[in-house]
Amino acid sequence: MGWVNAIIQGVLTGGLYALFACGLSLMFGVMKVVNLAHGDLAVVAGYVAIGVITVTHIPVLWSFLIVVPLMALLGYVLQRTIIQGALDRSVLITLLVTFGLSVVIENGLLQFFSANSRAIGTGLSLVSGSFTLGSQIQIGYLLVVIFAVAVVVLLGLQYFLSRSRYGRLIRAVADDREAAQLAGADYRHVFGIAAALAFGTVALAGIAYGMYSQLSPTTGTDTILLFAFAAVVIGGLGSLWGTLLGGVVLGVAQQIGAQINISDEVLAGYIVFLAVLVLRPQGLISRRAQS
Amino acid sequence: MTGPLLELDRVTKRFGRVVIAEDLSLAVGPGQVVGIVGPNGAGKTSLFGLISGDLAPGAGEIRFAGRTVTRLDAAARCKLGVGRTYQVPRPFGDMTVFENLLIAAQQGGGLRRRASYAAAVEALDRTGISGQANVPAERLGLLQRKRLELARALATQPTLLLLDEVAGGLTDPEVAQLVEIVRDVNAAGTAVIWIEHVVRALTPVVSRLICLAGGKFVGDGDPATVLAEPAVREVFLGTEVTAALAGGSLEAGSEVKGDGAVGGERSNP
Repeated sequence: MGWVNAIIQGVLTGGLYALFACGLSLMFGVMKVVNLAHGDLAVVAGYVAIGVITVTHIPVLWSFLIVVPLMALLGYVLQRTIIQGALDRSVLITLLVTFGLSVVIENGLLQFFSANSRAIGTGLSLVSGSFTLGSQIQIGYLLVVIFAVAVVVLLGLQYFLSRSRYGRLIRAVADDREAAQLAGADYRHVFGIAAALAFGTVALAGIAYGMYSQLSPTTGTDTILLFAFAAVVIGGLGSLWGTLLGGVVLGVAQQIGAQINISDEVLAGYIVFLAVLVLRPQGLISRRAQS
Repeated sequence: MTGPLLELDRVTKRFGRVVIAEDLSLAVGPGQVVGIVGPNGAGKTSLFGLISGDLAPGAGEIRFAGRTVTRLDAAARCKLGVGRTYQVPRPFGDMTVFENLLIAAQQGGGLRRRASYAAAVEALDRTGISGQANVPAERLGLLQRKRLELARALATQPTLLLLDEVAGGLTDPEVAQLVEIVRDVNAAGTAVIWIEHVVRALTPVVSRLICLAGGKFVGDGDPATVLAEPAVREVFLGTEVTAALAGGSLEAGSEVKGDGAVGGERSNP
């Protein structure tokens, strides 16, 4: 029964990892930007949510309505200014700039909020509550909700990209930036919109992680970014549903590792990550446009 | 509009030591159809890059519809009315033909939902690819890709259409169909600049022919006169020019003597 429990927990954790990863995948797929500040931005969103809840005393879940649009706006502005400026120079500069952004954010958080860990929504029945399946399997409500949110976010992104006017534009610019310009598309604006989407999902991921576990200034790089990378690589770079598959595979591998030996949880995830890199570097779901 | 639609004023572009446009001056009026010929590497496609905004000139000024556009990017120039096709078609592969056109109509043409759908349908009809509207662009063959490339440029509602070797690789009947499409587009008031190796495609439709070699204009004027000019004959090899004047086929070869830069630049009213 322990193994079944591990797999169920792993699958559900995969939803959280997919939330970590889909913004990273989107930014790479559209702009070819590897955003090394991705995890730190999730942590920023978590801290902003904590601040908003503390100051306004609004219910925890309402904070999403404020923080997600705020982060999306930040995404658009950062893309149009710092990231676009770096992209105009070279991909390598972009990597360095997002790394610099990561360092600045992390140290800024340490400076203003100390190294203490903080959690969001402790005491909420959604966060601490669970239900049981049979006698040995206990499932937290929060993980189920996060998994459902991840699926809804991915469905929403897919619908947006395939059906909406701006979604089509994002696909066109991702496919051929120059040809899109000749069709009249301002690719910088389109990049901004894609970054806004990515940052919106990052905000969801950051707050969700703050509710699921604890946030500290270094959580962005030592957990969120690494797990996001692993999920993207396992699932397939640039593939939205690949991030969910990658997240689920990573989550299941970690839980099975923990089942074998509690200290092997993270190690097992990275072994699968390395195995995929070696055996199927394009990921489990390879994007058609890349083939 | 009374003045020229497009003006290039002493435009120069170099990549390192390679000169791709040297002190080029050119004026094209509204509704004019201009053909551009020249050997490979003459700077024809680069000239389109300078006009469409893909390339920024090192010196000189470009004006379109009475406005200086030298510093505007390709998207902004497209919105002003510059439509362009690529020599090798570059459709958005994983989108349907219709979606390709919709993007062009909405972005370049600035059309809203219903009008953009109508413009996309019109572009499909004009180029004869209505049957492929819902086919992913990556599944199209060469001819249909070329037509989509043309349709996408038309969907941006251009007042100046830049065609880059759209007739290359087509059979005679296909070339004839293409000429009809271009005539149609021009009859609706769109000016056309058409780069073509297949000179037999140009001669029935252009009223002015420009020969480009080594980044300079070596001939400009009435097609028959230009093709008869010694500098142009040197670029094209004399025998082929004679054949073209007689109504036969002419293809600019790569067998250029020297750099072909014989006549110096020309400025046109």
